[in-house]
Amino acid sequence: MTTTALNENTPVNPNEPVSRLQREFQAGHFVVSGEIGPPKGTSIEKCLHEAEEYLKHTVVAVNVTDIQTAVMRTGSMAISHMLVDRGIEPIFQMVTRDRNRLALQSDLLSAWCLGIRNVLALTGDHVAMGDHADAKPVFDLDSVGLLRAMTTLENGSDMGLDAKGNANVLEGSPKFFKGCCVTPCADEVEPQILKLQMKVAAGAQYVQTQAVYEPAAFEKFMTEIRKRGINVPVLVGIVQLKTAGMGKYMNTSVPGVKVPDWILKKLTDASKEDRQKISIDICGQLVREMKDMCQGAHLMTLGWDHCVPDIIKAAGL
Amino acid sequence: MIVADRKPMEEILAMLAPYKRVLVLACGGCVTVCVSGGEKQADLLASQLKLAAAAAGRADVQFDVDCITRQCDREFAAMLKKPLDQYDAVLSIACGVGVGFMSELAPQATVLPGLNTTSYDASTAKGVWQEYCGGCGDCLLAETGGICPIVRCSKGLTNGTCGGTKTGKCEVSKDMDCGWYLIFKKLQAAGKLELYTKVRPAKKWSKDRNGKGARRLTHKELMETEEFSK
Amino acid sequence: MRDVDLTSAAMAKLTGTTELLDREWAPCRNACPVHADVRAYLEAAAAGDFVAAAEIIRRDIPFASICGRICHHPCEQNCRRADVEGAVAIREVKRFVVEGLGASAPVHKAILQNKAAVAIVGAGPAGLAAALDLAKLGYRPTVFEKFPVAGGIPRTAIPKYRLPADVVKQDVDWIAAHGVTIVTGVEIGKDKTIADLQKQFAAVLVTTGLAKSRTLPLPGADHPRVLPVLTFLEAVAFDQPLDIGKNVLVIGGGNVAVDAARSAVRLGARVQMMMLEDEQEMPAWWWEQHEAKDEGVTFIHRRGPVEIVVKGGKITGLKHRKVTRVFDEAKKFSPTYDDADQAVAACDAVILAIGQMPDLGFLAGCDVKPDANGRVLFGINKATHETAVAGVFAAGEIVTPPGSAVEACASGQRAAKAIDMFLSGKPIVLNDATPPYIGTIDAQTADKLIRCDRNPTPTEPADVRAKNWNEFEHTFPEPTALAEARRCMSCGSGAEVVVDKCAACQTCFRVCPFDIPKVTDVARIDSALCQACGLCMAACPANAIVPKGYEPHALRDRVKSAVGKLPAGKKVVAFINGFHADAASWTGKADPAPAGVAEIYLSSISRLGPAEILAAIEAGATGVLVVTEPAGADRYPTTMRKAHAYVTRVRTMLKEIGLNPDRAQLAVRTAANRAVVVAAERDCMNSLIR
Repeated sequence: MTTTALNENTPVNPNEPVSRLQREFQAGHFVVSGEIGPPKGTSIEKCLHEAEEYLKHTVVAVNVTDIQTAVMRTGSMAISHMLVDRGIEPIFQMVTRDRNRLALQSDLLSAWCLGIRNVLALTGDHVAMGDHADAKPVFDLDSVGLLRAMTTLENGSDMGLDAKGNANVLEGSPKFFKGCCVTPCADEVEPQILKLQMKVAAGAQYVQTQAVYEPAAFEKFMTEIRKRGINVPVLVGIVQLKTAGMGKYMNTSVPGVKVPDWILKKLTDASKEDRQKISIDICGQLVREMKDMCQGAHLMTLGWDHCVPDIIKAAGL
Repeated sequence: MIVADRKPMEEILAMLAPYKRVLVLACGGCVTVCVSGGEKQADLLASQLKLAAAAAGRADVQFDVDCITRQCDREFAAMLKKPLDQYDAVLSIACGVGVGFMSELAPQATVLPGLNTTSYDASTAKGVWQEYCGGCGDCLLAETGGICPIVRCSKGLTNGTCGGTKTGKCEVSKDMDCGWYLIFKKLQAAGKLELYTKVRPAKKWSKDRNGKGARRLTHKELMETEEFSK
Repeated sequence: MRDVDLTSAAMAKLTGTTELLDREWAPCRNACPVHADVRAYLEAAAAGDFVAAAEIIRRDIPFASICGRICHHPCEQNCRRADVEGAVAIREVKRFVVEGLGASAPVHKAILQNKAAVAIVGAGPAGLAAALDLAKLGYRPTVFEKFPVAGGIPRTAIPKYRLPADVVKQDVDWIAAHGVTIVTGVEIGKDKTIADLQKQFAAVLVTTGLAKSRTLPLPGADHPRVLPVLTFLEAVAFDQPLDIGKNVLVIGGGNVAVDAARSAVRLGARVQMMMLEDEQEMPAWWWEQHEAKDEGVTFIHRRGPVEIVVKGGKITGLKHRKVTRVFDEAKKFSPTYDDADQAVAACDAVILAIGQMPDLGFLAGCDVKPDANGRVLFGINKATHETAVAGVFAAGEIVTPPGSAVEACASGQRAAKAIDMFLSGKPIVLNDATPPYIGTIDAQTADKLIRCDRNPTPTEPADVRAKNWNEFEHTFPEPTALAEARRCMSCGSGAEVVVDKCAACQTCFRVCPFDIPKVTDVARIDSALCQACGLCMAACPANAIVPKGYEPHALRDRVKSAVGKLPAGKKVVAFINGFHADAASWTGKADPAPAGVAEIYLSSISRLGPAEILAAIEAGATGVLVVTEPAGADRYPTTMRKAHAYVTRVRTMLKEIGLNPDRAQLAVRTAANRAVVVAAERDCMNSLIR
């Protein structure tokens, strides 16, 4: 029943897609990805069930978060692997907060061995944001360093050197579809663009963005990065707003996210029973407005995974 | 300069509870400059300890105060009024260096830390000290506009802001500057923004404290022999 | 910087000494001819300790009462407070202190007065000052005075509206009480000769001063209504009948001339003063000029007398001519006249007040001879006070240029030292060197000081005082004397840095309200600028700053002893900022503090740090109350803020060790009266739970 990939060391065509996600981009399709968060504990059935029920047939790939917001929970690699087993393509999120370069490289090799092909390199929220504030933050590498590590592994060596100062040669190397993240609507976008440049230079092949609610700002961002020669596919991030309060919270607390008043008003005005539908409509509208600016959308429904099919419908995809 | 802050009093009291003859040992170096471990602070601490002992009904305890120019140089130990091992315990209010070195110089003595050593700081305003250097052993400041990302970025990142930057502040606290945002602004102002995106090899954390024992600086021309014991 | 050893080892040896203070004098002390420790007596006075202040004054100033009235106070001329808003009224504080003590001034006699007998000719300031010092050294001085009373010029020539006779007597009696024999009514050269004295006494000191008025060979000067100034003033001093007419003209522009003019006003005359000099050139002190003018004296400047016009046996006027210059290019007195410009000023009496000269009558029957130019005497060696005759010395105005009483005292004191050496068989070597003194205060620092205007001396209105002989100036009331003493900036008694302890941390600079410390390799605190507030001492983490003005541990010792004296039970130490306190409160003579409260007054709470507050609790105080002035009401600008910060700090420290933080309390005094302090003390006491 396992579909563990063969550990082959065959030369690969650099353009040969390693995953369905990469293939879809190459085919020029508008790509939708979803996201699940592993639970705190061993009861993983619910999250797997929702992935199978609502995401498997609606999205191209599913992000699996990695100890999101530094709140300890089941690991991303295990759940990603289980998605592979269930015929769902995972996007293995990897943060640099909790592992040094040894563990990161090792886990990348492990993930490849477990059939995981899409990796999203993230720095990760600070431990101070989560439920283990006294933990030692690692950050041996950052997202750029992790992307470089992946590229290095793909090239058949690791980050270390042997006694003679030569790169260590791997016995068999992986091939990933390497993604990264960006915040397009940050109050000061220039550092974001510079960082994105660094990530792409380090090997990033696609981008999933932080939540975007302002199509105009997003368009400006897209124009700017394309102008600068950043041509990798971009999936615009859509975080489903369940209530106006959540929108307000994001405005005050989530860096680089601005929820405009019209959205807050719609949510405020909606009756309790209508709220979910309104929420779906908002997501759909946002995707509709931005789909021509980018190559896909990344839907973050935060537990309302059952809404994904309706959002896609509402988006007219 | 090295900055240290007094340990919580309950911790000090618990540490000293078993001892009768205690020396509060100040250091005339960095901790005097940051007004945490000078002779005046030793006087005040001894005063507090005496009052605490009196309140606890302990008449048998004795607190002396001494101060030497620096607790991190062998020669200054000669300034001590009394050998440290004549006390049941020595509460050093130097940085951790002083505590460790005094303990090493007086093998029989019990030397305890009165301060928590925190950082390498500059005095940025009256009564304010702020960390500027992480002592990582692999200085990056040439590429970061003199702003240390190891210290100023909560995550110690070496390649730009992370997604947690918001209006120039860090995700960890709205009172905390985003280190890389500061670097961005500084490099932008200095017309050296190309340094921001420069490809930096993964940081050599081997130069930081890393389990290979104490880091050591040697100036051969100043050494008596090239061999040394430790 | 100064070449002195300021390491902790060197400084430790100075414990209990005043060497730090003595290394550099305040300019007031330097300027004082007898180098009275002005800062020290002002500090004692500021603390309400007038007995101690008087002791310090009398240590150097034999004529304390007299100087409190008539001293020309070079201390005030050199007071650095003048660089801020006006000199401290030092003379008036001295007058208050000395007068308060009156005749009860303590006398410290030599334990054994069995050394040689010394004769002194002339019981003026120089002679009596020398006699006093000789008596203190164990000699047996006898002072011979030709007048029926001792005191010299202050008694015989300074008019009593400035200096009443009983004030002079007070000083004379105090000096005599030290074992000085005063023989009045005996004129040497007439009743006895110096040769006679030499037979009886091991040494003779001549301090006869300038006892004769200079005269002018003017036509008409032999008229009986032409009075030499001393003749006139002596007659006034001894209430002798005088015939000066209604319209007096005083020739001369010095202080003695002004005394004569103002005395003549009090005798009912219309008075003019005529002098060669203009207003700036005239030698009388500016304040004397103003006081005389206020009393109606008219000044005629730049005119020289030509002739006293006598018609029909009566003086009708003084012919005078224009003065074209008074001093030559070399600033030497060398007047020239324009004879074409002459006029007559109407008057019916003339007082010649153009200077005094020695009365050499005492030389009769003596080997000592006057030297060629008359005023400078008998080959005197000014360095040793020796005359050409072995064993005969001279001092005072007979030796020095004419000056004031305090200058004569200084000369007499110096001569006493010379005589002591002579009689001890030692070579006479007098060292006049004084320590360096601190310079002026810069404008930048002066700007940062809290302004505090000089209190005017209470003075009788001119129209009232011109009609009587009562003292025209009055003694300060106590609050004014205290306020004035507290204006003293304590120059030179501030912070000194122990260089080997200093960590160059900048804390002193950062806490200094006046930005005085300069920290390079170590902190340097310029004594010319330091205001002695004590803030840096309280804050210095290295304990590297010591106050020059007091023993750092003295305060703790004082607190310890005060707590020790309190009865069993709750004990409160109240540290009280004394800047506005009355003397009785400060010295513990006022309403008693509530039972169990020990009051410790400080010249400023700035000197109090957390260490001192904790030390009081360690010494056994149940609670410590810090009583400060409201912000801006202290002599230093940040006192109240610092007091608040330090009390807060101590409260935290007490809490840390499980003690009641209320054991350290701050009270901001809302009014400068004792009741407020006592109420705060009572509140503190009541709030403390045993």
